[in-house]
Amino acid sequence: MLELNNQYTTIKRQVHTEVLKQFFQDTLVQNVDKIPIQLIPKQRIPTRCCIYKERAMVRYRIMAFLGFDIEREDDEMKSLSSYVQEIMEEDKPLSPLLTTISTACSSCPPDRYMISDACRGCFARPCLSNCPKDCITFSGGKAHIDESRCIRCGKCMEVCPFHAVVHIPVPCEQACPVDAVKKNETGYVEIDWDRCISCGKCAISCPFGAIVERSTIMTVAKKLKNRDHMTAIIAPAIEGQFPGTLAQIKHALLATGFTSVIEVSEGAHETCLHEAEELASRKREGTGFMTTSCCSAYMTLVDKHLPFLENRRSSALSPMAYTAMLAKERNKDTSVIFIGPCLAKKDEAASLGTIDGVLTFSELASLFVAKDIDVREMDATDLEDVSRFEDCREFALSGGAAACVNKRAAIGDEISFFPVNGIDRKMARVMKTWEKRPVDADLVEVMCCEGGCINGPGVVVKPSVALRLRGGNRASSPVEAMRAILKPKE
Amino acid sequence: MGKKEKVSVRICVGTACFVQGGADLLLYQDFLDPVVLAGCDIHGISCISGCKDDTMAVRPPYIEIDGKVFGEMTQDKLCKLLREAVHA
Repeated sequence: MLELNNQYTTIKRQVHTEVLKQFFQDTLVQNVDKIPIQLIPKQRIPTRCCIYKERAMVRYRIMAFLGFDIEREDDEMKSLSSYVQEIMEEDKPLSPLLTTISTACSSCPPDRYMISDACRGCFARPCLSNCPKDCITFSGGKAHIDESRCIRCGKCMEVCPFHAVVHIPVPCEQACPVDAVKKNETGYVEIDWDRCISCGKCAISCPFGAIVERSTIMTVAKKLKNRDHMTAIIAPAIEGQFPGTLAQIKHALLATGFTSVIEVSEGAHETCLHEAEELASRKREGTGFMTTSCCSAYMTLVDKHLPFLENRRSSALSPMAYTAMLAKERNKDTSVIFIGPCLAKKDEAASLGTIDGVLTFSELASLFVAKDIDVREMDATDLEDVSRFEDCREFALSGGAAACVNKRAAIGDEISFFPVNGIDRKMARVMKTWEKRPVDADLVEVMCCEGGCINGPGVVVKPSVALRLRGGNRASSPVEAMRAILKPKE
Repeated sequence: MGKKEKVSVRICVGTACFVQGGADLLLYQDFLDPVVLAGCDIHGISCISGCKDDTMAVRPPYIEIDGKVFGEMTQDKLCKLLREAVHA
């Protein structure tokens, strides 16, 4: 996975912020075609082949941000302003959530192992003796790999004392846990939607930015402008993503134009109660392990790839679904907007029907900047009584969901649990074996992203930083110093 | 020792800076050399207004060292700048 701070994310945030800024100033239709030129000025030293290609990429990013599926709706002759006009007329559906820019794709060659100049052609030659396919040969005092026989096991890389063997991966394909990212016959990236579980790992792994999120932020932005009644339901991972406390973030959302804010932790509490009950009854009946059901990417993984786990999943709805119900109960005419770190939640939202929009933290960040909202300067709002569900804020971290279920289980029930901390290719393979060899635990907690939702594809801040800005329970010395910096001056 | 004044460092934690990489700078206790850290007086500030100044050639995140504003700050750059400022 790419380091979070890089040129791509910077440009992306600039594009998003600029589009939103112009939208709220009512100048988007007039100015949208100028944005690519404004952001990539003549003087810029290009990182792609030329500034014109870079501008074209900005154009595509704007299209995806507006909600267009570039693969289907790309009309080169159509101006961005006509696209904007189109989006003002009608809202785009929540899925598909990813779209590809084939001209951005670098058509990376298939993944391979290569012997670099660091090879010293040593006497021991562990690569030669450990290669299971005998594909290492020596010539000119250096090792060579016979590509036609290499099975890409990586043994040679492991054993080389000089670190002379390098693995050159295809980042998007390697990131995908279910082999859904492929190259089409022209060599460019293509997503196999029958396999895709919407985890978003490919999008944050491509160093060329060729796989992009198709945003639905315009649906939300339009409602904000119309001053519709809107309820922001915020995922537990939001704490630590912005420079302020949870109470300040809540205030910032109200200042942005949302009518009310509900923490998804409140719905997570419901999820936990259901799961605790279900777990107890399964234990009594001795039917073996149960898995959590809060991770949407995992739910799709089961539907598409691991059907035998279907009845193992808890029947509880996700925290998002319960929270949306709460929001509608409090005001039946409200539009419910889920704000989280997750792309897969868009798919879930599309199937639920109670959610009117999904934003990622990264989109919210652009919204804050565009509306000039300084989270740190916000007064703390009253979060009201959170004691019931406060612990559910831990749902954002791997291990947190299981801990909350455990806490709500009847006393005397010993619950053993097994955490799936991130689903990568290897973990997906391990999970396949559960059909024959069930996990020896009562509760399996599944989080598709390593570390939990705080490492989701839509986050703003690295997990290492976010972790330290969250809650008070993880206090260690640097946290104090960081929090002091964040505290607004009296 | 003791005579030299501490270097005044202000990290911008306005939303625009924070979400464009500024959050990483808050880990300063981890990545700064202890000697440099001891010679600095580090504070957070809500907005240096760098992002609102059109004449500013560099982009967020911003930081102010002894009254001078620097942009596009990274952990590495900050290390270098502060090392120079402290040992000057």
